[in-house]
Amino acid sequence: MMLLKIAWRNIWRSKTRSAVVIFAITSGLVGGLFSSAWMNGMAKQRVINTFSYETAHIQLHHPNFADNFDVKRTISLTDKKLNDISKMEGVKAVTSRLIVSAMAATANKNMGVTIVGIYPKTEKEVFGLYKNVDSTTGDFFISKKKNSIVVSKALAKELKVKIKSKIILTFQDFNGEITGAAFKVIGIFKTDNSPWDKTHVFVKDTDLRKVVEIPKGQSHEIDILLDDYEQASFISTDLQSKYPELLSEDWSEIQPYLSFITEYMDMMMTIFIIIILSALGFGIVNTMLMVILERTKELGMLMGIGMNKKRIFLMIMFETILLALVGAFLGEFISMLLINHYGKVGINISSLAEGMESVGYSAISYPVLETYRYMQITVLVILTGIFASIYPAVKALKLNPADAIRTL
Amino acid sequence: MSVIKINNLTKTYTETEVPVHAVNGIDLLFEKGEFAAIVGPSGSGKTTLLNMIGGLEKPTSGSVEVQGQDIAELSSSKLIDFRLNNIGFVFQAYNLIPVLTAKENVEFIMQLQNWDKTKMNERTFAILESVGLGNRVNSKPNQLSGGQQQRVAVARALASKPQFILADEPTANLDSKSTTQLLDIMEKLNKEENITFIFSTHDQRVVDKARRVIKVDDGKVVSDETKSEKGKVKVK
Repeated sequence: MMLLKIAWRNIWRSKTRSAVVIFAITSGLVGGLFSSAWMNGMAKQRVINTFSYETAHIQLHHPNFADNFDVKRTISLTDKKLNDISKMEGVKAVTSRLIVSAMAATANKNMGVTIVGIYPKTEKEVFGLYKNVDSTTGDFFISKKKNSIVVSKALAKELKVKIKSKIILTFQDFNGEITGAAFKVIGIFKTDNSPWDKTHVFVKDTDLRKVVEIPKGQSHEIDILLDDYEQASFISTDLQSKYPELLSEDWSEIQPYLSFITEYMDMMMTIFIIIILSALGFGIVNTMLMVILERTKELGMLMGIGMNKKRIFLMIMFETILLALVGAFLGEFISMLLINHYGKVGINISSLAEGMESVGYSAISYPVLETYRYMQITVLVILTGIFASIYPAVKALKLNPADAIRTL
Repeated sequence: MSVIKINNLTKTYTETEVPVHAVNGIDLLFEKGEFAAIVGPSGSGKTTLLNMIGGLEKPTSGSVEVQGQDIAELSSSKLIDFRLNNIGFVFQAYNLIPVLTAKENVEFIMQLQNWDKTKMNERTFAILESVGLGNRVNSKPNQLSGGQQQRVAVARALASKPQFILADEPTANLDSKSTTQLLDIMEKLNKEENITFIFSTHDQRVVDKARRVIKVDDGKVVSDETKSEKGKVKVK
């Protein structure tokens, strides 16, 4: 206790020098934590958007459906499966979809698209795309009109269509015949992933099923939303054993990129912080060497009156750790304020919007840093303090008390 | 009963081209309760002798036995423990821990010895009272005069209940009044508690108070006189 007290008070003996070190640690951590939170927020948003618009948490398909999106490779008895899955623990909502590759044509242009046939009611329980269609851009299947279609803003621009415009969709039906139908645009959406936007259109399951002639009770995809996406792997495994004739994949298998960016961001943040702390560590070593030089006489006296090497070492180590911790707490506190503020209002880099959206990221990002990260940083700062104190402490232990006391 | 026995003690510094014999074959005995001053001009070897008695420096040859234990044979870590439990130090430049109060400075050494908190508290107040600083227990060194700081240093040296106290030029930075006060306190502690004090000094006032005066020059003892009750010895 006495050693801690001395170490703490020693920090404030040279207020300016300690303030410089604390400022360096604080600013280093604010920079590191805020930029990490920013990157983390972008990655998290990308993941959440993908869940919300594209994949949900788990998907079931015919095992070979992904090979060439053959309309005949369906899931049978879909209604029963939906009913059973919805009763599973951890499952929040479930829906089914038809997936058909098609050519979308207007008077101006033809484009290859994927038609997604949905049940609007259950679709809205699993996916959030409907939120991206507001009253100014039509609606998401509120009206019961037949052969209506919702397209993205990017595709609408390419095809030069607007609300009430017609789009001709041509595709292969269940019997292998080329067929098609005209659909009227009733809604236009926009996500932060422009490549995906350009290739996906949404129609009602009933309309699509009729023209493709898919038998009742069969679908191409079952999409499952969970209470906790981190349980996806376990529940997917359960589903796989329950439905061995199907392929069950969690989000990280459907979109390995998502799993990669999550793990990559985690790793990058840790490396980033370690680099910052290492640089700060050298600064702390330098400061502590100056401290030892200045207090040579005092250290000699302490050894002289009987303070053993272990205690001298601990005293210097405590001083270094406490100095680093003061900077860390300030840095973490300021970072927390900044991250909370920008986590609410967002950081808008609209000048880069086109580029960001072309790779699936939003131009407005919301920094976020998990609580465990702050704890991790605190532990890393303590470790930095320990490592930074070793060399100065060893230098102190090498002092000869008699010579040290004679020092001016 | 002898507390310290010094046998043919030498210390030679060989860092320079010509070896310097700072202490050159000194034999001395110190009895329990002595109030002794080692005097001599600058560079005579008195501080080196005191450092070797206190185990702060290792002798080149010879031995320093404290109650039969040759301290030159102790490892550096055992020597630190030995100093903690057997020797009290008072240095020239006060050498208190600047961030601690007078009370904490005195307690510090007892904490190193793992004293019980209540006993430590009682002893701290008693010692600070005995050196006339009962009203300055919460003052930090920079709030105390030089004389008061040196009295705290004496209190700290006493706190660990040492076999003897070594004081290296304790009055060198003090004015006349503070010197008199400090010496009176040390003399009182010596007489009342039978604590052995050994000073290295060239301060005549200390010499006047000392009951034994050992003169050293060129690393050798040139005289060793024990005074009668009121006798005085001049430093040459």
